[in-house]
Amino acid sequence: MDLGTGLLAIGAGLAVGLAALATGWAQARIGSAGAGALTEKPELFGSILIMLALPETLVILGFAVAAMIILLLKAGA
Amino acid sequence: MTKVQIIGSKGKLEATLRALQRLGTVEIKDVTEHGPALVLPRMTLDQAVLAQREEIGLLVTRLESLGALLPPLAKTADLSRLYEEASLKSTEELVAEARRVLSEAGPRAQSLALRRDELEAEQASLTRYHATLRRVMPLAAGIPELGGYETVALLIERRSSGVLDLIRQQLNALTGDHFEINAQHVDQETTAAIVVFPREQSAQVNALLGRENISQLRLPKELAGVSFKEALATMAARLAAIPGEIERVREELRRLGEEWALWLALLRAALGDRLRGIEVVGQVGTTRYAFVLVGWMARRDLGALKEALAAAVGPQVLVGELDLSREEMKRAPVALANPRPVRPFEFLVALVALPRYGALDPTPLMALFMPLFFGLILGDVAYGALLLIFTVLLLRRYRQGPLRSLSQVMIVCGLWSVVFGFLFGEFLGSFGYRAFGLKPLWMERSGETLMSLLVFAVAVGVAHVMLGLVLGIWEAVQARSRRELSERLGKFIALIALFWLLAIVAERLPRELSTPAVVALIVGVALLSAPMGWLGGILGPIEALGALGNVLSYLRLAAIGLSSFYLAEVANQLYGMATNAAVGAIVAVLLHALNLALGIVSSTIQSLRLHYVEFFTKFYDSGGEPFRPFKQSGV
Repeated sequence: MDLGTGLLAIGAGLAVGLAALATGWAQARIGSAGAGALTEKPELFGSILIMLALPETLVILGFAVAAMIILLLKAGA
Repeated sequence: MTKVQIIGSKGKLEATLRALQRLGTVEIKDVTEHGPALVLPRMTLDQAVLAQREEIGLLVTRLESLGALLPPLAKTADLSRLYEEASLKSTEELVAEARRVLSEAGPRAQSLALRRDELEAEQASLTRYHATLRRVMPLAAGIPELGGYETVALLIERRSSGVLDLIRQQLNALTGDHFEINAQHVDQETTAAIVVFPREQSAQVNALLGRENISQLRLPKELAGVSFKEALATMAARLAAIPGEIERVREELRRLGEEWALWLALLRAALGDRLRGIEVVGQVGTTRYAFVLVGWMARRDLGALKEALAAAVGPQVLVGELDLSREEMKRAPVALANPRPVRPFEFLVALVALPRYGALDPTPLMALFMPLFFGLILGDVAYGALLLIFTVLLLRRYRQGPLRSLSQVMIVCGLWSVVFGFLFGEFLGSFGYRAFGLKPLWMERSGETLMSLLVFAVAVGVAHVMLGLVLGIWEAVQARSRRELSERLGKFIALIALFWLLAIVAERLPRELSTPAVVALIVGVALLSAPMGWLGGILGPIEALGALGNVLSYLRLAAIGLSSFYLAEVANQLYGMATNAAVGAIVAVLLHALNLALGIVSSTIQSLRLHYVEFFTKFYDSGGEPFRPFKQSGV
């Protein structure tokens, strides 16, 4: 495996890893605020579930970028 | 839905309300909220009715307290008939009956419940004393019982046991060697000590122990002054007797429950209905001689309402429909009416908000797509089958409520998981292939087929989001809303143009088609931007890209499914790597169980999210108020 391939693989890892960190950070903040809101208004469950699931798009897009890099690697191999 | 106006002479109001409550098809609204077409003052309750309301409220609370003391009511076949009979009684009869029940059953139930609580508290306290005393008994056994001497037991943390030497010195000074201390480690953390000293020194010794902050083992008051040995024997005898006493008290409560619980529940429900009947009077409009009541109801129930009121009250009550504008109709309460197989999905829609009256109910679409997405993500024959078994057990346990609806939803999800399991050829990952040659009917999920999986997920996204936009366009046409029509149509065209351009870049379509694609994109963005005014130039393109983001969000169908497959593979490989087959099997089973649990939770949440965020936002007009008819509460 040459240096370029290795760097691409690290890039793929970073794409999904950093996106997952960002998602986790956002979900932690939304989750803690949502849990507080739910104790007072349980009827907000659906809305809070949506808000909690919103940042997951970040990691999904990170995954899409990582998948594209991996496919690029395979095409080059 | 239709809004009705019920008018009658004031003397017939109570009978009318009783009939409406028994029928349970009308949601009574405050007459003053109807608007300028019907300006009437609300009916006020006179002193006698206010006093009756207060008394009924108090009786219902007392009946509820008494019901809580008795065992739960066993379901009887003729419960609804008995409830109907109780409902036919006059309010005065019900009040008198409630007073009688409370005076006859109340004191007996309260004294029995009190006795049961006392016995349980005594049992808990004696169990604690007994356990502690048993630990110090070996020390006490070596000490003779002497008249004129007092014995105390001490429990000291082992790390502070040096304090015993200090006590020994001080007792020596106090009693002049007329004392005995016997100490021993009773467990890893505690040292127990028995101290015997002359009774006349009791006050000084207790003061000393208090000063040194040492806790004494104090016996219950009734055993004070008794030797440890006697106390232990008494406690053991009492602990043996208490369960029998508690059981006898419970048996008496059970008998009392058999005698009274049914009648109590019936009275509670019937009086609760009367209370709501009185409270609703405050929403009724009044003239000098008549009452005017307005409320929402399903139009199909109108005929039955007229017949029921004519039979129960007579011709002095008139029912008529009110003419309402389109805006007023939007405020109508909502009752979802779906076919039976779709009904369990209604609560998933209501989790966000009910649709506004007259808007499209997305429940049937959710019933179609949500389990499909779930199966696409989980996609494993074994996991799907296990989910089916689990939900069948839940269905047998829960006969009603949200958990039953959720179980019914999960049954469909489990079936789709099995179907996609066969399509992907997965049974605990690739275990099915290696164990009995299960091959995919469509394509396997792995790194090799990643591109195909991603393309498929995006294709599903395009179809789902486009369907949402088409429904949105239809809704906008129905509502004659140009603004919404322009936005949704623009988004629809822009999305098609964007994918068109992507296909040209990926060399799936000829380059010659790029000009019409760019034109379509410009038209789409222009339509999208138009209703936004001067901000449209910035927000329009962002909205168009947002729609593309919505479609790409469906990549999660492939991504999460693939991660579930790889976790199953890790479990299988750990089994293969283990030197001990049993240990390998346990690890694999635990990991598969974890994967199944994660798979069920994440597949549910992700499929719901795709609906709530990506799909509903294209057409769903939420904000409906649930239809809450004025009805009997039932037992």
